[in-house]
Amino acid sequence: MRVLLVEDNGELVALLKKGLAQAGFDADAVGNAADADHAIATMRYAAIVLDRGLPDDDGLKVLREMRRRGDAAPVLVLTARDGVSDRVTGLREGADDYLAKPFAMEELVARLQALLRRPGNLLGKRLSFGNVALDVEARQVIVASVVRSFPARETAVLEILLRRGGNVAPKRLFEDQLFGLSGDVGSNAIEVYVHRLRKLLDDAGASVRIHTVRGVGYLMMEDKGG
Amino acid sequence: MSRFRSIISRVVVLHLVAIGVTSILMPLALYWLLNQAANGLLRDALLGQATTVASFLRPGPDGRLRLELPPDLKPLYSDGYGLYGYAVLDAAGKVLFSSRGDGAALFTPEEAARGDWVMRRRAAGSVLFGVSVARPVDERVYWIQVGQDLYHRDVIIDDIVSSFLPRVAWITFPILLVLLLIDIVIFRRALAPVREASTTAAAIGPMRTDIRLPQDTMPAEIAPLVDAVNQAFDRLEAGLQAQRDFTADMAHELRTPLAILRARVDTLEPSALRDELRRDLANMTRTVNQVLDIAELEAFVVPDDACADLQAVCVDVVTFMAPLAVAQSRTIALTGSDLPVWVRGHPEALFRAVRNLVENALRHAPVDGLVDVEVTAPGSVRVLDDGPGVPDAERQSIFRRFWRRDRTSAESRGLGLAIVARVAETHGGSVSVDNRPGGGAAFTLSLQPAAGPPAAS
Repeated sequence: MRVLLVEDNGELVALLKKGLAQAGFDADAVGNAADADHAIATMRYAAIVLDRGLPDDDGLKVLREMRRRGDAAPVLVLTARDGVSDRVTGLREGADDYLAKPFAMEELVARLQALLRRPGNLLGKRLSFGNVALDVEARQVIVASVVRSFPARETAVLEILLRRGGNVAPKRLFEDQLFGLSGDVGSNAIEVYVHRLRKLLDDAGASVRIHTVRGVGYLMMEDKGG
Repeated sequence: MSRFRSIISRVVVLHLVAIGVTSILMPLALYWLLNQAANGLLRDALLGQATTVASFLRPGPDGRLRLELPPDLKPLYSDGYGLYGYAVLDAAGKVLFSSRGDGAALFTPEEAARGDWVMRRRAAGSVLFGVSVARPVDERVYWIQVGQDLYHRDVIIDDIVSSFLPRVAWITFPILLVLLLIDIVIFRRALAPVREASTTAAAIGPMRTDIRLPQDTMPAEIAPLVDAVNQAFDRLEAGLQAQRDFTADMAHELRTPLAILRARVDTLEPSALRDELRRDLANMTRTVNQVLDIAELEAFVVPDDACADLQAVCVDVVTFMAPLAVAQSRTIALTGSDLPVWVRGHPEALFRAVRNLVENALRHAPVDGLVDVEVTAPGSVRVLDDGPGVPDAERQSIFRRFWRRDRTSAESRGLGLAIVARVAETHGGSVSVDNRPGGGAAFTLSLQPAAGPPAAS
């Protein structure tokens, strides 16, 4: 999978390319905004990792330019200026995610995979976290390499959690996805499905655990003990 | 003058002093001038009388001088009338003729020699005013003295002078007072732009450095001061901008090498050393981030119309911190209002404040402990933990920069709560800490309630 790395620090580029290659990404690298504009316009990349502090311009200009052309490729903005006032601007300009330097290689890879896993993106068909996986099209749950059949709503809950693996999935997301716009959602309906899913996963020997973050949503994390 | 701080009060005080002095001096001066004028008129009249008397001096056939006053003039100088008198002296000072019964001169020759007019106080208390004129008759010089007794005040010019003070002089006082009122009105009008500029200047602070004082409407005397103040504001704004630029540059210069270091450590084979390096790097990154936050917040400005949904901010913080909390075997929850809680503020700055409170709470909560983020209208958030709480003596100092209870601990740099305090300060809010009845600390961040965003957005 080909991604574009827009970063002017040669040393960092070499290390990131190596790390991305280990995660199965094939990375092209350019070192300034002009080259980035050119590369994005001529090649089709699965995702773009864009540094803000480029020698010739702000990386956000590159982002604005490609969005203006209608290019919807997912963009992960890297920044060294994670200031109070500039954090929001990046996302407002149409970035899909935002990562402040310094960051762990795993974090960059995880964020890229999350971007590509979004519906319509390249990794959208199969979601996995820990030893749990979901084939989105076949609606098949695979736990510890064994294919399981979960009820539809529990599977839908799992899909949301897998797409957000390691991060909190907000309550509202479950309400929208499970019940659409139709009818009232009982205040504990979601809790009921989550509870059932927990039991299904435990019985299947999953290495993940679903935590309730009261007032906010649910969080699937790999079980430290397992 | 320091007791009278306003220009108007200084004008009033100085003006009152001026009124006092003027209302005494001006009538006195006028009285003196009028007296001078009256005396001048009197002297001219007496000189005329002296000339008239002189015109009736004739050399007699015996060589002696004779005075032949017409009958209509005689009563004027009679003792019975008592108002006027005359005497004619020869050059030696011998009295030749006198209207007085005792035949004496009106003035002694010494007195008369002092000028062509003199004043003399008589024993009876009346005042004699007179002139002495030299006239040649038949080639000999005689002195004609004419006097008027001012004790009989029937001269109209004298009456004007003597009644001037009580009847006319008092009018100067109200006139001066009216002038004072007019002056106050004039000054107030002239100073109106200065007062407006003062109001504008009061709004300028570290929060609003873009305002400048109006220069066009300013009186010319004050324009240089206003100009100087505006230039000072320009320098202040440039200074703040320079600090912002410096912070941004410093962020880049510090974080890029950290990013390289972090990426390089990530390429190492799994080992205890790699994990230790990662931990060290994480601590260092945290400190760098906090120092950069502190530096940025020094020059941070919250626009007056900025508003943030504190409830949404807390949702973001809990969402952001939950994975870390779970990884550390702590539970985190959001309670309180489900509805937006609008406050005046910058969402990202508030996010950092609440995040720092949660990080602090997570550090002090025991394993399997609970950190509760509670949002309440009209604009406060409480972060509760079930840790050891904060001793009374430390409730102020924990918000100071680089303050640490345990100086040997490498984990906390003591900047997190200082950031919270600074964010509260930039938002016109406050942060405080209490101990919960059941144990644990309760940090309260209070902000100014706001009306929420305009309906259009």
